[in-house]
Amino acid sequence: MTNRERFQAVFNFELPDDRLPAIEWASWWWDRTIMEWQKQGLPSDLGFHDVAPYFGLDQHYQFWFAHRSADCPQPKSFGGAIAEDEDEYEALLPYLYPESSGDGAAAGMQGLKAGHDAGEYPIWFSMDGGFWFPRTILGIENHLYSFYDQPELYHRILDDLADFQLRQLEKIYSVLTPDFMTFGEDMSYNNGPMISEDSFDEFLLPYYQKVVPFIKEHGTKVIIDSDGDISKMIPWLKRAGIEGVLPLERKAGVDVNALREIHPDFLFIGAFDKMTMRESVDAMRGEFERLLPAMRTGGFVPSVDHQTPPDCPMERYKIYVEMLKEYGRKAVKLGKIQ
Amino acid sequence: MSEGILLEISENLQRGKAKVVKELIPQALEAGIDPETILNDGLLAGMNVIGAKFKEGTAYVPEVLVAARAMNQGAAMLKPYLEEAGVTSIGRACIGTVQGDLHDIGKNLVKMMLEGKGIEVIDLGTDVAPETFIQTAIEQDCQLICLSALLTTTMGVMADVVKKAEEAGIRDKVKIMIGGAPVDEAFCELIGADKYTPDAASCADAAKAFLTGNA
Repeated sequence: MTNRERFQAVFNFELPDDRLPAIEWASWWWDRTIMEWQKQGLPSDLGFHDVAPYFGLDQHYQFWFAHRSADCPQPKSFGGAIAEDEDEYEALLPYLYPESSGDGAAAGMQGLKAGHDAGEYPIWFSMDGGFWFPRTILGIENHLYSFYDQPELYHRILDDLADFQLRQLEKIYSVLTPDFMTFGEDMSYNNGPMISEDSFDEFLLPYYQKVVPFIKEHGTKVIIDSDGDISKMIPWLKRAGIEGVLPLERKAGVDVNALREIHPDFLFIGAFDKMTMRESVDAMRGEFERLLPAMRTGGFVPSVDHQTPPDCPMERYKIYVEMLKEYGRKAVKLGKIQ
Repeated sequence: MSEGILLEISENLQRGKAKVVKELIPQALEAGIDPETILNDGLLAGMNVIGAKFKEGTAYVPEVLVAARAMNQGAAMLKPYLEEAGVTSIGRACIGTVQGDLHDIGKNLVKMMLEGKGIEVIDLGTDVAPETFIQTAIEQDCQLICLSALLTTTMGVMADVVKKAEEAGIRDKVKIMIGGAPVDEAFCELIGADKYTPDAASCADAAKAFLTGNA
């Protein structure tokens, strides 16, 4: 079974022949983790995409669409605004929605098409979502006020965003069909959603309803990337045509087994409590045991529930990868007996 | 009459209608309602409702923000009257996101909720060094130090603050409260802090309990 076929099986709620995919879904490794591991013997000349195969993980390739040009003004401070109102948004437009974005992603995908077609790796892409993107424009706090203070501006930004994304998507689908995609959102936190269902329906739902059908028509699975506890939002997301979520942060209280009971038709990626990687090998094994019931069901790719932290020693990470495969095989075996 | 207008203030605050709240406050003063009653039974009562809803998951971050903004604008109008009447806050807290961490929305929510309980808050911002918390607590006579962290790599700084408070000899004079995504009750106990709370409204409840001797 090829690497890509394993993914396709899981995404179709089937179990692969041998084991579940073994990936670090966040392909942009935490730089501090890499720096720590380099002190522990990780070759310093490994490229961005060389780290996964070095540890024996399955390869996958992620593409991003740039939503701002390289010379776009930056916020004055972390989380600050680059446009606070409609006039400032107008002034910012020359720096937003660069048409070259999709061309770059399409060219990158072209270079990987042969391997993708041969099943060597899945390809996926990420786009800024309807919660995240306005936040990068309006600033973290001002963005939250904007649901009340500037609803017209919010709608306008999402209309522009959807139009831009649909234009870029045409470009990549002329090359190949990525296996899955994520909308980067981060719209939940430790205690659940950042916004109400009413706000979701008023602002985000029309945006998703514009973009998601186009992606699904091509056969790409649509997944939301949101840290925190996304559980309560899943029914809202389903209404928007979304098919899955990641990374299911355990520390925020997300229980993938409970979610699988409630949502047998929803895809999950992540859910492995990264905090156990700081503790011990036994803690990691206990975490895999916890995840096993959901792993047996299909539709779930277990992976670190954000990024591997810098205080996980490299030798322990190697053990983690072995365990990920061990439990991936066990899940398939047990699931097929079921 | 007075109950009606106070209820109106509370309800408009809950809907984030700062403009209406600011129109109602002079009316309440003209009706002879004393400023402290307007503060407690109008503004803070409304904020308490939002806080409770936030805690139970029926109000969300934008609703808290707009309500808190209405509260702050209303409280600013009342401030000169309250000062004249000699009304003081129930206590003082210094708050900040710990060194190395730039996240501040959680910290800002806690600040608003604390103010909603009648607590004076000194906001030290983000990326705050342990020494700054201690120095501020001493100089400003704070009874509470509230620490926020969102990263696993910065939560350790909270332990440094507890240690510095001990070294400065103020550990028995301040309560140290912690919150944020990576921390929990066990971590609170491990580092010797006084209280972990899972959300901003619970933090404000616990802070008030500390300050009023009901903890």
